Amino acid sequence: MTEPATPRTPRTPDDAAVPDLPVDVVLVDDHLMFRAGVRASLDERVRVVAEAATVDEAVEVIGAHVPRVVLLDVHLPGGAGGGGAEVLTRLAHLRGSTTFLALSVSDAAQDVVAVIRAGARGYVTKAISGPDLSDAVVRVAGGDAVFSPRLAGFVLDAFGTAPADLAVHDDELDRLSAREQEVMRLIARGFSYREVASELFISIKTVETHVSAVLRKLQLSSRHELTRWAAARRLL
Amino acid sequence: MASPTLAPPDRLPLRRPESGRWVGGVGAGLAVHLDVPVAAVRAVLALLALSGPVGLALYVFWWVSIPSGDAADVARDTAPAARKKLSRGLVVERARALPLTDVAVAVLLLAGAVLLVASRNGMRVDVRWVLPVLVVLAGVGLAWSQLDKVERGRLLSGGRTPGGLVRLVAGVVLVLVGVLLLVGRGEPVGALVTSGAAAVAVLGGVAIVLAPWWLRLGAQLRFEREARARESERADIAAHLHDSVLQTLALIRRGSGDADQVARLARAQERELREWLYSDRPVAGTSVAADLRAVVAEVEDGRAGRGGPAVAVDTVVVGDCAPSATTTALLQATREALVNAVAHGAPPVSLYLEVGQDSIDVFVRDRGDGFDVDAIPTDRFGVRESVLGRVRRRGGEATITSSPDRGTEVHLRVPHEPSTENGRGA
Repeated sequence: MTEPATPRTPRTPDDAAVPDLPVDVVLVDDHLMFRAGVRASLDERVRVVAEAATVDEAVEVIGAHVPRVVLLDVHLPGGAGGGGAEVLTRLAHLRGSTTFLALSVSDAAQDVVAVIRAGARGYVTKAISGPDLSDAVVRVAGGDAVFSPRLAGFVLDAFGTAPADLAVHDDELDRLSAREQEVMRLIARGFSYREVASELFISIKTVETHVSAVLRKLQLSSRHELTRWAAARRLL
Repeated sequence: MASPTLAPPDRLPLRRPESGRWVGGVGAGLAVHLDVPVAAVRAVLALLALSGPVGLALYVFWWVSIPSGDAADVARDTAPAARKKLSRGLVVERARALPLTDVAVAVLLLAGAVLLVASRNGMRVDVRWVLPVLVVLAGVGLAWSQLDKVERGRLLSGGRTPGGLVRLVAGVVLVLVGVLLLVGRGEPVGALVTSGAAAVAVLGGVAIVLAPWWLRLGAQLRFEREARARESERADIAAHLHDSVLQTLALIRRGSGDADQVARLARAQERELREWLYSDRPVAGTSVAADLRAVVAEVEDGRAGRGGPAVAVDTVVVGDCAPSATTTALLQATREALVNAVAHGAPPVSLYLEVGQDSIDVFVRDRGDGFDVDAIPTDRFGVRESVLGRVRRRGGEATITSSPDRGTEVHLRVPHEPSTENGRGA
């Protein structure tokens, strides 16, 4: 998702009032048992409207239902072999109405970065608990990005942690601002958005803005360091 | 060798097995390939050989042209990797193949004997072509001895032995001379030399044209062999992994009543699989990140949480560097902090390591009720000495923040010596 602000009002599970629930979700994963497990663990804020097991099936089902959120496994059979990233690319025209949350057992940098750069709004590992996953779904439905500690670590690794790596202006694509770096570091340390907000004396909204900005940079940056880092890990 | 009844339903490739052969393994190979009894094939071959030189020639042709090897092995190796079993079983060392040079010598001697017998029996043998033919045969034998499997492997891997090259060149020269003698019987020497020069020139031209193909073919073969070696290494790793998963599953089934034990086993297996599947494995002693993961593994496996169950440590590492005395102290302190977090705090336990330009930072966090940091008695060796003292002695800082609603976070920071700088994300 390239546009920084969606017309929908951002909602978070931290806010008390969350309108138009439950969120419609299509669940894409090639393991039947895993789909059943996820379905059972999601709470009433989320409604699974359809499931798909392969790339082609996913493209078809998502195109037919146009759900608010897609829970997308990174490694999927079928299609041209591109897995979740291929689904994202083939459904690029749905980006305005559907957001994708990558869900994978893999925590390899290449998988994470591939789906994020293909347009996913967040990345969580399959070890996530049911309530946390529901939180994440509601969060991406509200237009926010979902960063796991691991993803925040990748971002810091890719963009650099040294003071020289900081962006002078906030809009520089190739560097994180000092604030963004701080936010990423706290998320990597296991802080929730709420804890980050109280640690930095900012609002949760501001934290979400920073995270969305970082996600955008991760998707669009052509930073030399990023490509070098990616090449060292054989990504992109 | 594989008996036909055990062979896969479709036809096995034609190979000369190295065990169970009588002469050249042609009979045994044909039997496996055609799925008929060995004895029948051997009988037919013997009849053919006895009935005339054609049968003998046929046998020799097969001997030379069929590569040696175990047909069942070859069939297995050429099957697609996805269809194959991952475990390869025990490898049994096979006896070495009969060297082709000996065979060539035997054939030459045999041919000489046949000629002698024929001339003794009154057949008029034109001896003038015998010598050239012998020379050609010797050259061919010499050159073809290079086709020996081991030699070919050595040629392809680049380690070209001088002896092998000499034999090849000598063989080619012998064949050339023999052919010249054979064709140019009765011609004057001058004409022979001229035509010989012309022949060499033509061969040279052909060689120049074919050289790029030959070189490319060689390079391609070498590349394929390397790729296959890597692939088989990968298969070995996969087999090892599956084996360890099987053992874990067996353990889990045996102790399925003990939930903690099951959780611990599952976590340990998950960690191992993750490490193999999703991360590169650095050489031991070159990566602080890898050492940290080892520390985490030890704590996860060895320590139980407050309620008894195993606790998973959520680990994030940014950057990496080579270990030093300082990082060793830092990791020891980290270990103690983790043990404290697992034993006294509450899950989830988060661990964050960042290798920066000037410093290395570690954060260990748990979501327990927290404790009053100032109230740690000075005699409580655990935190004060093993965590804080270790880091401070290395010129580092250690701070503990704790509150009932936010849990406890231990922050350790040591200076990062530039001499051990290994580059970010190395």
